[in-house]
Amino acid sequence: MPPIAIAKAGKGAVGVKVPQTMTERLLILLSRYREASIAVVAIVLVVYFQVGSDGGFLSPQFMSVVLRDTGRLGLIAAAEVMLMITGEIDLSLSAIFSIAPYVMALMSVTWAVPLAVGAVVGVLIGVLVGAINGIITVRFRVPSLITTVGMLFFLQGIVVSIYNSQPIVAPVEQPFNAIFGQSLYQPSDALLSWHGVTAFTPFLWAVLIVLALALALNRTTFGLHTIATGSNIIGAREIGVRTDRMKIYNFMIAGGCAAFAGIINTAQFTSADPQAGSPFLTLQAIAAAVIGGTSLLGGSGTVIGALIGAFVVASLNNGLVMIGAQATVSDVYLGAAIIAAMILSIQVDRLRTRRRL
Amino acid sequence: MNTQTIPPLAPDAPVVLEMSNISKSFGAVTALVDVSIKLRRGEVLALVGDNGAGKSTLIKILSGFHQPDTGTIVSQGKEVRFASPRDARAQGIETVYQDLALIGDLSVFHNMFLGREYHKRILGLNLLDNRKMREQAQLYLDTLGISIPSVNSTVDLLSGGQRQCIAVARSIYSSPRILVLDEPLAALGVRESAHVLGLIQNLRQQRQVSVILIVHNYNQIFEVCDRINFLHSGEVALDASTADTSEEELIRIVKSGLGRKAIDAAAAEVRPGIV
Ligand SMILES: Nc1ncnc2c1ncn2[C@@H]1O[C@H](COP(=O)(O)OP(=O)(O)OP(=O)(O)O)[C@@H](O)[C@H]1O
Ligand SMILES: [Mg+2]
Repeated sequence: MPPIAIAKAGKGAVGVKVPQTMTERLLILLSRYREASIAVVAIVLVVYFQVGSDGGFLSPQFMSVVLRDTGRLGLIAAAEVMLMITGEIDLSLSAIFSIAPYVMALMSVTWAVPLAVGAVVGVLIGVLVGAINGIITVRFRVPSLITTVGMLFFLQGIVVSIYNSQPIVAPVEQPFNAIFGQSLYQPSDALLSWHGVTAFTPFLWAVLIVLALALALNRTTFGLHTIATGSNIIGAREIGVRTDRMKIYNFMIAGGCAAFAGIINTAQFTSADPQAGSPFLTLQAIAAAVIGGTSLLGGSGTVIGALIGAFVVASLNNGLVMIGAQATVSDVYLGAAIIAAMILSIQVDRLRTRRRL
Repeated sequence: MNTQTIPPLAPDAPVVLEMSNISKSFGAVTALVDVSIKLRRGEVLALVGDNGAGKSTLIKILSGFHQPDTGTIVSQGKEVRFASPRDARAQGIETVYQDLALIGDLSVFHNMFLGREYHKRILGLNLLDNRKMREQAQLYLDTLGISIPSVNSTVDLLSGGQRQCIAVARSIYSSPRILVLDEPLAALGVRESAHVLGLIQNLRQQRQVSVILIVHNYNQIFEVCDRINFLHSGEVALDASTADTSEEELIRIVKSGLGRKAIDAAAAEVRPGIV
């Protein structure tokens, strides 16, 4: 039997609505390039602060602060994006951020373990905590919101009790500190000097990891199955995607990222504070992920958007103070930005469903 | 679709699949009781029954999505145990589920190859070969005569019928041994149903692929199926060949809504030898 054409591809026949208004066209553009809107916001903010601070905002010295915060937040935000795509969330990341470098520093001062070895142990602890979060979530069907809040308190309790909640001064070891984070950019440093590079290492690491995650998400079977898990978990399972494993793997990646962010933070400040990561850090990271264009519904998200979102949050936090606003005001803007981003994101989602026949 | 051109299934066609005494409950709900079905090479078997009769549950056990409480599956003469849909797919059993199992956020071509992606190595990394999957998907949909706006569009932008066509195409792509279709025509228009029925008829003509087809339209059953199994309250109440059952008889039996014994008796009374 010769093949018959099933449905002639025509605009009317296939149920794809032709965009009508300007707003609709804009929303379609945004739904296709979710990073675009946050990138525009970031550029506008930079211009605003640059003008408002008479050129101080884009100075290497100030940027090293903003980008350091961007890197720390961006790593955790990207970790949350991976989980949010699978339809989960992890609120214990701030505690992992605290405990991993704390263990590293403690091993260094008590047993003289090299920082590099301690860092590996720290990251493994993060991965292990992630695995436990994941297993509890998928095997016992506890919503991850609950699992990870429990884990947050549990880990926070451990980290403050192991060393009487004392911050530990971490030793400086080279090349460890040069590679993973050193003191900030000084006015006397030349931008192209060795110190000019090492001042930005935390940010560069975040960029590297975010790019690796973006590659994994968009170009590998792992990424495809991660998206499938969050988009249609039953369907994914029916076709043979190991949805439980995908979730656990992403919890492990998230834990590893948070641990790594904490280690970089400690390398930079040469101090491991048991309170280094407050739950507020996780919430800011989730905010960065959301304003970066990741849907809360699962099935889609962008780690690059999350990094740009982290830059926006870090710029708001630092820039507003710089141009003379009260430190607390930045939260007002951040709150408004989250709500605006949510409204936009839901509009975009609704548009997608409306175009569905 | 001319039924006359399809010769009847050879009586000695080997049995490729036997599900025996399958039972399955979900908590307090008993979905299947002691169900046995048999499928021969090249046969098209219709599975009919009321809503909630257990048809989808039975085929989800065959596809490895559910595990039976009791009972065995024998495939190609060997007892098999499917722990997951991957196992069943690896054995050449492809399923189009009632819910289609398509991923709305992924493109048509990614859906087509989900679970059996093509890869290429770049700098030692095992990356998706999107170009190859895109080309293959386009090529394959063209050969099947299924036309959609673009293999790049995400599935949630397609119409219900188009999605159904994609799901059917995906299941046939890997040349399965056994093809299971759970209401594949539900959202299709007249022309599209005829087209999918044509595809099934094609398979039937070649007598290589065995098909289990769940449909509610009895016209279509008599058009493309060799045999009918009527599932009633979790049991097989009737097993008859389409050649010696008429549509009216089938409808009467299904409508009577009786259990197996009563149906046996009723059937024997009206026309001895159906069961
Ligand atoms: N995952 C599940 N959990 C609980 N009960 C279930 C589940 N799946 C199916 N059932 C129950 O099992 C019974 C059989 O359902 P099944 O989906 O197999 O019916 P069906 O014959 O496919 O019906 P339909 O023609 O409506 O598709 C129903 O009573 C249903 O409620
Ligand atoms: Mg069903």
